[in-house]
Amino acid sequence: LSKKIAPFVWRGIVSIELGVVAMAVLMVLVFMCTIAQVKMGTYGAVEHFMRHFLVWARLGNFDIPVFPGGALVGLVLTANLVASLFDRLVWNWRKLGLWLVHAGLILLFAGEFVTAAFQDDMRLTIEQGQTVGYLESARDVELAIIDTTDPAFDEVFAIPATMLAEFVTVNLPNTTLSINVRRFFANAQLSDREQSDPPALATMGVGTGVNIVESDVTTSDEEDNHVSALVEPIVAGHSQGVWLVSQAIDAPQSFSHEGHTYHLSMRPRRSYLPYTISLKKFTHGVYPGTDIPKDFSSLVHISNPVRGEERDVLIYMNQPLRYEGKAFYQASFGKGDTLSILQVVANPGWLLPYVSCVLVTLGLLFHFVLALRRRKAKA
Amino acid sequence: MKTGMRFAKLLPALALVLALVFVVLGALPPGQVRGFDVDGFGHIPVLEGGRVKPLDSVARNALLVLRSKQTLRFQDRTIAASEWLLDLMFRPQVADTQPVFSIDDPEVLGLIGLQQTSDRYFNFSTLAPHLLEIEKQARAAGAIDSHEHTRFQNAIANLYQRIALYDGLKNTLQLAESRGLAAELEILSTPEGKQHQDELAQQAQFRPLREANADVWRNAGEALREAARGNVHPALPALARMASAYGSGEPEVFNRSLAEFRSVYAHAGTEAEMVLNRIEPFYKGMILYVLALLLLFVSWLWKRDLLQPIAFGLLIAGAVVHTAGLAFRVILQGRPPVTNLYSSAVFVGWGVVILGIVLEHLYRRGFGTAVSAAIGFCSLLVAQALATEGDTMEMMRAVLDSNFWLATHVVTITIGYSGTFLAGGIAIGYAIRKQVIADPDPATTKSLEAMVYGVVCFALFFSFVGTVLGGIWADQSWGRFWGWDPKENGALLIVLWNAIILHARSSKWVQERGTMAMVIFGNIITSFSWFGVNMLGVGLHSYGFMDKAFWWLSAFIGSQLLLTGVCLLPSRFWKSLGRA
Repeated sequence: LSKKIAPFVWRGIVSIELGVVAMAVLMVLVFMCTIAQVKMGTYGAVEHFMRHFLVWARLGNFDIPVFPGGALVGLVLTANLVASLFDRLVWNWRKLGLWLVHAGLILLFAGEFVTAAFQDDMRLTIEQGQTVGYLESARDVELAIIDTTDPAFDEVFAIPATMLAEFVTVNLPNTTLSINVRRFFANAQLSDREQSDPPALATMGVGTGVNIVESDVTTSDEEDNHVSALVEPIVAGHSQGVWLVSQAIDAPQSFSHEGHTYHLSMRPRRSYLPYTISLKKFTHGVYPGTDIPKDFSSLVHISNPVRGEERDVLIYMNQPLRYEGKAFYQASFGKGDTLSILQVVANPGWLLPYVSCVLVTLGLLFHFVLALRRRKAKA
Repeated sequence: MKTGMRFAKLLPALALVLALVFVVLGALPPGQVRGFDVDGFGHIPVLEGGRVKPLDSVARNALLVLRSKQTLRFQDRTIAASEWLLDLMFRPQVADTQPVFSIDDPEVLGLIGLQQTSDRYFNFSTLAPHLLEIEKQARAAGAIDSHEHTRFQNAIANLYQRIALYDGLKNTLQLAESRGLAAELEILSTPEGKQHQDELAQQAQFRPLREANADVWRNAGEALREAARGNVHPALPALARMASAYGSGEPEVFNRSLAEFRSVYAHAGTEAEMVLNRIEPFYKGMILYVLALLLLFVSWLWKRDLLQPIAFGLLIAGAVVHTAGLAFRVILQGRPPVTNLYSSAVFVGWGVVILGIVLEHLYRRGFGTAVSAAIGFCSLLVAQALATEGDTMEMMRAVLDSNFWLATHVVTITIGYSGTFLAGGIAIGYAIRKQVIADPDPATTKSLEAMVYGVVCFALFFSFVGTVLGGIWADQSWGRFWGWDPKENGALLIVLWNAIILHARSSKWVQERGTMAMVIFGNIITSFSWFGVNMLGVGLHSYGFMDKAFWWLSAFIGSQLLLTGVCLLPSRFWKSLGRA
């Protein structure tokens, strides 16, 4: 039986019709993803329509798949393309153009899969004169517990928000400290507690004066989630009370036990760099007599003890710094033009689209020129 | 007989030359108005919106914003933009009676106690008693997110902005309620003078006074402040005399002071833009395209061999004017041809016309002329509607400030739009022809199909390359190749649709008629990608929400759906009617 089915399946996979249908489905997805961005934000819409194998809709209490998702369509198209290379487009010179086009497209798709899987979006927020040795995640959040006892250095423990969401008790390595997660809010609205509000959930710190209302997670491009949690630090079996930690709380919170002082803060996930970056000068130019932005640039200094590197770099619009597998882009600014925000992207597949572009362009040119010549010859 | 033949052969060239003469005549400087050198006044270079431009451009753009036209009809006379600006600044009591505000919204009209009439233009004096109410309503609208605006809120906010522009221009060189610029020079250091200087500096819409040694431009208020410190700008007294002379009706004094003022700026540098303003190449191009189209329609019924070449000559004349206009803009701006939505409309039309001329040259059936003239006309019409948002040569925001990427990504993708629209246009021609002509000549049908196939390949190539180049630009400036941003998605839709057409055709899934219907549907995809996504108001690419445009886009999409239907309708349908 398998001998009968296999060629049938293969013919399906290589068929031009499958490619056409997949492209049509992709068009529908792209269209819906575009329209949905108004309500869901770009990130939310792309997650919903493009990053999964199926598009889900909520019907009553059930999530049901209603449409193939971007990942599935991408896979089908890739399979169809690869198959067509081996089957339909037999190697001969006249097919060279089409061959190049389809090979280029495969690369392009591969690049998008690599991006979806491995791209890390980070931020570097830096003030003029400041030196920073870490990046902050654009989306992920962590609870940092910082032991500031030793004035020479801080010891930092970080618990990712995804772990807090599992309500676990986390024992910090090489300490007697553990963190017991009482509650977790993926997004919450915090306000000063009024008389009429229910009693505070926190027993220590700023949280005793705060009223928390859980709210829906937002994916909008304009709003941020305020990730919050109620945690109970336990040192050697002694509870330190219940503390409210939240991205909406700026005020420092700390407790001391047996000569150790610990700071608690909910902050964007940090990853530390083996080098440091200092902002020497941020420049923001406008067109004369207007406030239309003309250019932004950050003059930074890289100090890398590992490579023994000390140098200045100017990062500006359309001119990122590519350094050690990361690209630093001028993204935003603030504090009266003394603060610069760089977007930092690590994407191992960043080069693929460039290669693909060259292949497809050459391929299309070759094919169309050939077609034109043949038409001329016929006439 | 022989001379007649030769004459007929010359006709297209003659049409071309006549059309170009008609255009060039428009470039001649106009005469004086009531003895005032209005054209010379229009030449004065000023800094506005980050760019040095002639005052004439400021006046034209302001009128476009206020009333969607570059001129004004008042007391049975056409008033040019520069003259209107002179009146507004130096004889505001006259300007206030000229109908410069176009108001369409019935609710806004109701608010100021007016009824919708055939005349939709109103003067400032009519609006003046209602200014407080308009401001109150506009502020109320301003407090609401513009995505959630009702039509009334949009209209009132827009009217308020236009009144602010009008008022700002009126009070740029001298305060309308004061004794004038000359009087300011006498009360420089008094408290009243200081107060006027502050008001002028705040209201100023443009800066007319360039410091001799530095690239610093001052508005009237700032120049008066400097004068109070003892640094009188050499051109300031002449400007003041011009103002008084115009107000009191003394043309000789005005013209003398104007010449003196302009002598300070030995380098005028505004002549080229003045020529562009006077020629109005895109408006003239529109006229030529319409003439070509009409002539071609006539040719299908009468004197085909005589009229078709003439229509082609007119199309070429339109293309020459269109190209010249584009070239002027490129040189003036120092930028590639497409920098904003307006210029993309101009460029899409240009691309179609050039491609159409090539097709006409290859196939000579009048279709290339007809379709490219029609699309060229429509795209210039769209451009004209978009021009009412202000200066079309605005400065580029930082992230877009890259001539390399504007020249590669933006131009390529726009050529892709041209290709899909041209293919769509030919397919529409095919559809209509199929329904109208009982026995279409198969050779023509075959060449139509060949044209469409070629143009779709062309469009696929340019939209694909353009899209990927866009991704590479995004990678260079934002750190990601592909972000599923609406404008990127729109471009991807065009690429996919063209690829689908070619694959469905090569697999024989669709035949001639199906291909043509798909190509017409491509118009919808391209218009969505070009304009529709800008209306969503999300993403890095969105340049602004346009709600009037939304209705036009819907109408366009509706018409294209209808035409797709027409294309799919088998011609048997008519035959069956005939039988009945």
